Amino acid sequence: MRSPFAYIPRPRPLQLASPGAAVAYLGSLIVVAFLYSNPIVLLAVGLAVVIAGRLAGAHAAVRAALWMGLTLAALIVVVNALVVSRGETVLARLGEWPLFGQVDVTLEAILAGFVLGLRAAVVMVGFAVYSACVDPDRVLRALRPIAGRSALTATLVSRLVPVAAADAARLRDAARLRGPGAAPVGRAPLARRLLAGSLDRAVDVAATLELRGYSLEPHRPAAGATFSGSETSGKRCTRWVPGRRHQVIGRRRSRYDRRFYAVGLAVLVVAIVGKALGADAFSEYPATEIGTGAATLAVAALVALSGFAPWRRSARTHSALTKRRIASNSLPAGGGI
Amino acid sequence: MRGPGTAVALALLFAALAAAGCGLGPGSAVKDAELTVTRDYGTVPVLHRRLGDLTESDTVMRGLERNADITTRYGGGFVQSIEGLEAEESAVGSLDWFFYVNGVESTIGAADYALHGGESIWWDYRNWDAAMRVPAVVGSWPQPFLGGYDGKRRAVAVECLGGGSACDEVDERLEEEGVGISARPPSDAIRILVGPWARLRGDPAAAQIERGPQTSGVFAEFRREAGAIRLIGLDETGNDAADFGRDPGLVAATRRYEEPPVWVVTGTAEAGVRAAAGLLDAGDLRDHYAVAVDGGKETPLPLR
Repeated sequence: MRSPFAYIPRPRPLQLASPGAAVAYLGSLIVVAFLYSNPIVLLAVGLAVVIAGRLAGAHAAVRAALWMGLTLAALIVVVNALVVSRGETVLARLGEWPLFGQVDVTLEAILAGFVLGLRAAVVMVGFAVYSACVDPDRVLRALRPIAGRSALTATLVSRLVPVAAADAARLRDAARLRGPGAAPVGRAPLARRLLAGSLDRAVDVAATLELRGYSLEPHRPAAGATFSGSETSGKRCTRWVPGRRHQVIGRRRSRYDRRFYAVGLAVLVVAIVGKALGADAFSEYPATEIGTGAATLAVAALVALSGFAPWRRSARTHSALTKRRIASNSLPAGGGI
Repeated sequence: MRGPGTAVALALLFAALAAAGCGLGPGSAVKDAELTVTRDYGTVPVLHRRLGDLTESDTVMRGLERNADITTRYGGGFVQSIEGLEAEESAVGSLDWFFYVNGVESTIGAADYALHGGESIWWDYRNWDAAMRVPAVVGSWPQPFLGGYDGKRRAVAVECLGGGSACDEVDERLEEEGVGISARPPSDAIRILVGPWARLRGDPAAAQIERGPQTSGVFAEFRREAGAIRLIGLDETGNDAADFGRDPGLVAATRRYEEPPVWVVTGTAEAGVRAAAGLLDAGDLRDHYAVAVDGGKETPLPLR
C-alpha cells in the first residue's frame, strides 16, 4: 500500500515546478511557522499549506498530516498543562505529583500548549505537502553537484526503505496464508528475516554500483573532445563543443518557477517586516495576550493568500475561456467593417 | 463491558484525588498579603497594594500580575517590566527587578514561589553592579520574624553580645509585634545579633559585612582606623559615600549561603547599639535595605 506522503507525479504547478522553486515556496511557509508564535499567523500558515496541498492534489497527504499533527498537538497540550504551572487562571489543582511537584492546570498553559501543538501540526502538514508534491529524485539530482555522496546515500535510503516496507508486508501476508492452524509468527522472527533480506539487497546494490562505476572519479571530458550531440543532465541541457568545456545551452525551467520563487520571497519579506513591526505580538504567561493589530492581521492575510500559489485554472475553465476568446475574436455575421 | 466495578473504581479514584488536595478551580482563599513595588533600593515608591483575593494556588507572579502592569521573559518566569519600568543593560549599569518575600531574597523564581497568605512581597528595581545578591533586607519589618521565610514560620533567637539595655529593647519591640522569642532556638532559627561591632564580627554571618556589599549585600562597612572602629556608608556603586560620626548605629540583614537570615543591631559603641535598637519599627525601616543612625539622624543605605 502506498504511503499517503509518497510523491505522485501530477500535472499541477507545484509538481511541475523545479525542486528549488517548490522548496523555496514551501520552505518560506515553514520558516514563518518557526518565526512566529502568534496563533493568528500560525493558523494562517496552516491554512496556506492546506490550501497549497489541496490545490496540488495532495488531499491524502494533507488529511493524514492533519490527523497526525492534531493528535500530536493534543498530546502537547496535555503535557504542557501538566508540566507548566505558570499562568494566572488556575482551572484545577491536581495535588503534589512525584517529579512534577504541585500540579496546577492553568488556562494559560493550555493555550501555550495549543500554540506549540499548532506549530508542530502546521510544520507537519508543510512537510507532508512537500513530500507528496516534490519529486525526491529531482531534489537529489539538484543536490548531486553539491554533495554527491550524500545524494547517493539519500537516494539509496529513499529506495530501500519502501522496499523494506513492501518486503515486510509480503512476509506478513505469507505468514498469514499458512492458515489458522499454523503457529503464529512473532515480530522478532519477521524482523530477523527482513534484516537478512535487506542485507542481501544491500550486497546486490553495492555490486551494481561497483559495476556501474560509481566508485570511480567522475568522468571529465578531455580538451578537444569531439561533438557528440546534446546531453540532458538534470535540469540543464548541455552540449559538447570541440575544444571547450560543457556549454550550457539552456535550462529546463518550469513556467511556474518564477511564481513560486516570487511568492516564497514575498512571504519571507512580509514575515520579517511584520516581525519588526510587532506583528508577532503574543505572550503566554502570566496572562495570555494575543496581538490582533493591523500588522498581525495583514501578515496573516498575506500568508494565507500565499496558499493559492499552486492554483491553476482547471482544464474545463481553460477550454471554456479559450472558446470564448475565439468567439469574441471572430467577426459577427454580416461583418463588422 | 462496564459494570458496577468501573463505577466503584472511578469513585475511589475521585476520592483519592480529593484526598490528595485535588480539585477544580484555584483552591480556597488564604490570608491577605502585602505588595510593595519600589525602585532604586526602595527610595522611590512605585505602588503599594493589599492583596486581598489570594487563594492557595497563588504565587508571587500571579499576585503581581493581578495588581500591576507587567511584562515577562523566558516563558513567563522572569519579570521584565513593572509599570513600564523595564530591565535594561545601559551605561548607567545593569538594572533589574528583584523580589523579597518577608525581607528574604528568594532562591526560586516568582512564578514558582507559592504564597500562603500574610506575606510581605517587595519588588525593587535596582542597579546590581555593586551587589548582584542582597540576600536579606530590613524593609519588611516585622517580617521575617512574624511569618518566617520560604513558606515556613521559623523560631526567632535574640543573641545579646554585649548589647546591654539594647537587647531588652529588641525583645520588647519583637514582643510588641507579636513575635515569640525562643529560649532554646533550633538551628534554623532567624537570629538577631545585638551588640557592638567588635563583638558581632566574630559571627561568621555578620562578618560578611566587613567583606563588602558583594558578599553581604549590606552597603556599609566597619573599618578600624587609628585604633577606633568607624562605620562607612556606601553608595549604590559600592563606593564610600559617608563616614558616620563617633557613635553610629546600624540595623542590617544578611544571610550566609542557605542558612537562615541574620539581622545585626549594632554600632561602634554601646550608645550606637541602643540607637540602632530604637530603629526597630515599621516607620523607620519601611522599604529600606539597611539603616544607619548617627546622632539621632537615620540614613537609609545604600546612600544616593
